[in-house]
Amino acid sequence: MTFGAGIYFDGRTSARHDATVTLAASGLQIAGRDGRLLAEWPYDEIEGLAAPDAVLRLGRRGSAPLERLEILDPQFAAAIDVRSSYVDRTGTQQRRQRASVIGWSVAATVSLLLVAYFGVPAIAERLAPLLPSVLERKLGDAVNMQVRGILDTRSAGAAFECGTADSEKPGRAALDKLVRRLETAAALPAPLRSFVVRRTEANAIALPGGQVYVFRGLIDKADNADEVVGVIAHEIGHVAHRDGTKAVLQAGGLSFLFGMLLGDFVGGGAVVVAAKTVLQSSYSREAEAAADAYGAELMNKAHGNARALASMLAKIGGATEPGMKILLDHPETKARIAAINRMAGARPTSPFLDAGEWTALKRICAG
Amino acid sequence: MTSLEAQGTAASGGIRFLGARRAYWRLLMRGAALLMVTLGIYRFWLATDVRRFLWANTEVAGETLEYTGTPLELLLGFLIAVAILIPVYAGFFLAALDLGTIGQLSGVMAFAALGVLGQYAVYRARRYRLTRTIYRGLRFHQSGSAWRYALRAILWWSATALTCGLAYPFQLASLERYKMRNTYYGDLAGSFAGSGFRLFLRGLPMWFAVIAPLALTVGAFIDVVDWNALGDALSAGGDDVMSRIEGSNPALASVLVFAMLMAGVAVTMAALLYPAFQALSLRWWSSGLRFGDIEMRSNLRTRHVYGAYVRFLWTAILFCIVLTIVGVPALLAVGALAGNERAGAGGEIAATGILLVGYVITALGFSTVYRATVLLSLWQLGMESLQLSGLSALDRVNTTGTPSSALGEGLADALNVGGY
Repeated sequence: MTFGAGIYFDGRTSARHDATVTLAASGLQIAGRDGRLLAEWPYDEIEGLAAPDAVLRLGRRGSAPLERLEILDPQFAAAIDVRSSYVDRTGTQQRRQRASVIGWSVAATVSLLLVAYFGVPAIAERLAPLLPSVLERKLGDAVNMQVRGILDTRSAGAAFECGTADSEKPGRAALDKLVRRLETAAALPAPLRSFVVRRTEANAIALPGGQVYVFRGLIDKADNADEVVGVIAHEIGHVAHRDGTKAVLQAGGLSFLFGMLLGDFVGGGAVVVAAKTVLQSSYSREAEAAADAYGAELMNKAHGNARALASMLAKIGGATEPGMKILLDHPETKARIAAINRMAGARPTSPFLDAGEWTALKRICAG
Repeated sequence: MTSLEAQGTAASGGIRFLGARRAYWRLLMRGAALLMVTLGIYRFWLATDVRRFLWANTEVAGETLEYTGTPLELLLGFLIAVAILIPVYAGFFLAALDLGTIGQLSGVMAFAALGVLGQYAVYRARRYRLTRTIYRGLRFHQSGSAWRYALRAILWWSATALTCGLAYPFQLASLERYKMRNTYYGDLAGSFAGSGFRLFLRGLPMWFAVIAPLALTVGAFIDVVDWNALGDALSAGGDDVMSRIEGSNPALASVLVFAMLMAGVAVTMAALLYPAFQALSLRWWSSGLRFGDIEMRSNLRTRHVYGAYVRFLWTAILFCIVLTIVGVPALLAVGALAGNERAGAGGEIAATGILLVGYVITALGFSTVYRATVLLSLWQLGMESLQLSGLSALDRVNTTGTPSSALGEGLADALNVGGY
């Protein structure tokens, strides 16, 4: 079959030419009704284009005018397909391309996960110390405003911070005393700012830029001053490791990696959120373990009792629910206590506050 | 199909859609599976496949359209868009850290800037799609400034928001005029003849049906609530705010119940009327399109659009049944894995993985059903309801225009404002 009918568009005007197509030795010859040669396409320059199933639409590769030839006769279309390597009626080339897309996307996903698991924390680790302290302070102030917005309910009509009223001043002095002893042992590059705040939870937090909030609930629950000191030493660990800044950098890095490059398909949002939560919990567990180690070490250095941090944790750390391990942002309490007790020194220790100062600290929020 | 006999083009005619629903389903289902495997990267290939299918099966005056865009162009456009957006996002991140006015305004500024950029992307993406649309050996193209369009679009969107949607018909008409004035098929210039006021009049009853319950609610609030007492109750502070609010305004509870009821009515109205509005605006829009002497008239039936949604509902219900049959054993497996203390973290990761895959399958499934029923039907109905006149102009259009880059598509993808 070397002759066939076709419809030809020359790509310069929209006029339709009914054509006779001849399969010559080296290419297609397209002639008009009047026998005039309209175009001649070598077989290796012909490509198949998107068309309805019943039509073979051909174009000329690399041709600026969009010349088109349409063939309706299936047998004649098959004859052209055989002669031209860029006509892909069976879809073999398309299938091959699809397979390579899948292969490379799987590779991209794996590399993305590896970067997220190892790369992002490593980058945050290296980057955080390089940030100028002015920027870190600013970041700390921004976080501080948000934290205060959430925590400071001002419901009782009293100030958020304790230790400002006259009756609370001795408590403030006791806090200053124990923080000073820790700070001297820690030798931090920037001064700490520590406060006791009116919150009933037994907790303490450290913000970027060296701010430590101790919740009054923690002091209420502690049996002695050293237990409070242990928790503050843990928080100083976060400050020294710049964990707050790192967390901001990590969150930014993960949002960028997952949110920007992936996730723009239906249901992808959930994948992004889940991946971020699991990864951030894993970063946080490492940071908490490191802060525990730092806290125990600091207690040893300040001749304090490192076991006090462990005994405080035993009181405030909850039991792990089954099914929650990978979402937990702290390591399991039992493991933390064991690790801290292993690190506690055998040397004699001296308490941070005497009985009178401890009573004063317990009344720091009394006013 | 193409007829070999006719030399010139008939002066009037319709548009036929040749695509088989089954083939489209197959294309979408394969695409959904590959989207999941490739975590979404396949979307450039799927979008291209969908457009090739829709374009190639749309036959205007005996000749089908052709889409010549490629997935790699879309991927490249997306990567360029990411490269442009990284510094923008980084800038907003740093601005948000500032404690002064810049920090407080950064959220608003980011919203406005991304809004303008999104509209810019919409216009550029339209240019990409037009220049990849070939008909009878000539390409469509689009002139005009994407920034000017973005500015115009943002101003109109603000007007629409301020007027509770009353300005929307005028917005559509104005933006469509700008788009079509800058649209060409070869050297045949497009224009838009639709009148915003006409759409406004037709849409007004629907607007009232949705807005009236909300207006009643606002009226009830103004009428019943003692604002001074409520203000005092709120500013007093303390833990028992709710009880003090109740004390200051005894009627507040019943007004709140009324408000919720009315909100429900408004939402139901909007959902029920949405297909009718879609049919109305599609008919209005396509009847206003012009290319030189070529005019279009749409006789799209509203009940056919409702039919498309009914088909969606049926298919979605069917999909839900299949999901339940497959999902219940999977959930049991998740429970066993997560509850088992000895399985440890590995079991938990497996359980989370199953839940996640289930969620993605559900979401992708509904989106696929929607695309294969509502979107395909709207394309088909919109096209097949058109009657074209002045088609003899098609015998003497000359070529102009060059293909544009896919940056707009990439931005639209990264900013989530993409279309077909």
